[in-house]
Amino acid sequence: MSNFSPRYGLISLIALIAIWLPIAAFAHGVDESTRAFLQQNTGVQIIPFLYIGAKHMVTGYDHLLFLVGVLFFLYRSRDVLLYVSMFTLGHSITLLFGVISDIEVNAYLIDAIIGLSVVYKGFDNLGGFNRLFGKSPNAKLAVLIFGLFHGFGLATKLQEFQIPDDGLIANLIAFNVGVELGQFTALAFILLMINFWRTHSSFTRFAKNTNCLLMSAGFMLVGLQLTGYFIN
Amino acid sequence: MQDKRQEEIQQATPQTMELTNSALLKYTMFSFVFAAFTLLIIILPAEYDIDPTGIGHELGLTVFHHGKDESAAQLLTQEASKKSKEDTETIEVLVPAGRGVEYKFIMAQYQKLEYEWITDGSALYFDLHGEPEGDTTGYFESYAIATLSEMKGSFTAPFAGSQGWYWKNTTDAPITVQLIVKGEYTTHGLK
Repeated sequence: MSNFSPRYGLISLIALIAIWLPIAAFAHGVDESTRAFLQQNTGVQIIPFLYIGAKHMVTGYDHLLFLVGVLFFLYRSRDVLLYVSMFTLGHSITLLFGVISDIEVNAYLIDAIIGLSVVYKGFDNLGGFNRLFGKSPNAKLAVLIFGLFHGFGLATKLQEFQIPDDGLIANLIAFNVGVELGQFTALAFILLMINFWRTHSSFTRFAKNTNCLLMSAGFMLVGLQLTGYFIN
Repeated sequence: MQDKRQEEIQQATPQTMELTNSALLKYTMFSFVFAAFTLLIIILPAEYDIDPTGIGHELGLTVFHHGKDESAAQLLTQEASKKSKEDTETIEVLVPAGRGVEYKFIMAQYQKLEYEWITDGSALYFDLHGEPEGDTTGYFESYAIATLSEMKGSFTAPFAGSQGWYWKNTTDAPITVQLIVKGEYTTHGLK
């Protein structure tokens, strides 16, 4: 392993960026055929809702950016599992609670907060909080809070479609489980690539630049969503 | 051997990085400036047609928005007159249980539409109305409001814009509406 050229590390970084590019086209929204399905479906539809949930996660680039930030310095499977569970707990609570009690939060503001979480993680990875305050905020708590916001975002988007009450709870749970499956899929790929890259010297050399770009991407998301909020 | 390598990696990669104050400031400033720059010249022009520098327009990124306006305007002015008055079209509209759908025709001022529609069963609440082109206030003018399972008639558009039906299904089964139209319009579809 240690004989590998550092170039491989760079290649894996490029591959990492390359998979985001086509994904960006989907953004975080819901495409036309899914929209039609959501508005016309009746009764319990486990598999379609599982799929929509999973697709939402795998194609949500803001969420994937946050995962890259969280996983950048995590390598123990125990840690990874713990963080993912915190996130799951957060978004399950607000998704179910939000839809059942008809709470709608502005989607632009939620997405701006998600962008902000990418900024936070990039800055944290650069050691910014350590430098400024002498300690880093509790990362597990941050992931939980991010999960709570993300759940509200999902709840708001689902409510826009006025999903019929018939079979609502079962469909929501299916959607939530789908989000988990999608999350694990995305996680597996990201972890695989970061861990591969970690074994190369270029990982350390490019760590600052990568997190700087991550933070920048987060700022872009915040700017994009806040502009959307103010003009709509 | 593998374990030892793993340990080395773990020791070599800390949880966060250690940067000097000036380096941290430099990286943070760069990330912010780079984001602002990209937003101003690429993302905002392409997404929202907000182009303070004019560079987005130069790069051709604002076409997404201009294309939309022009094609809609062209449809209204040119193709409206081309459309044959003798063509009959049959359209099926599904109104899901407990939901309302809106089916609209884009028409120019004083264009005429003859119509006939029938449901496959129950009566539907409907509102036949028009919305002026480019209106953002939500204003609309109703021509007929009733609850029926079929209707036949015609109307002349009092203004350019979208004209058509809002059907509401209050039953717990989906209802299909068969709509037959003949007249002057450019495009039609669910709204």
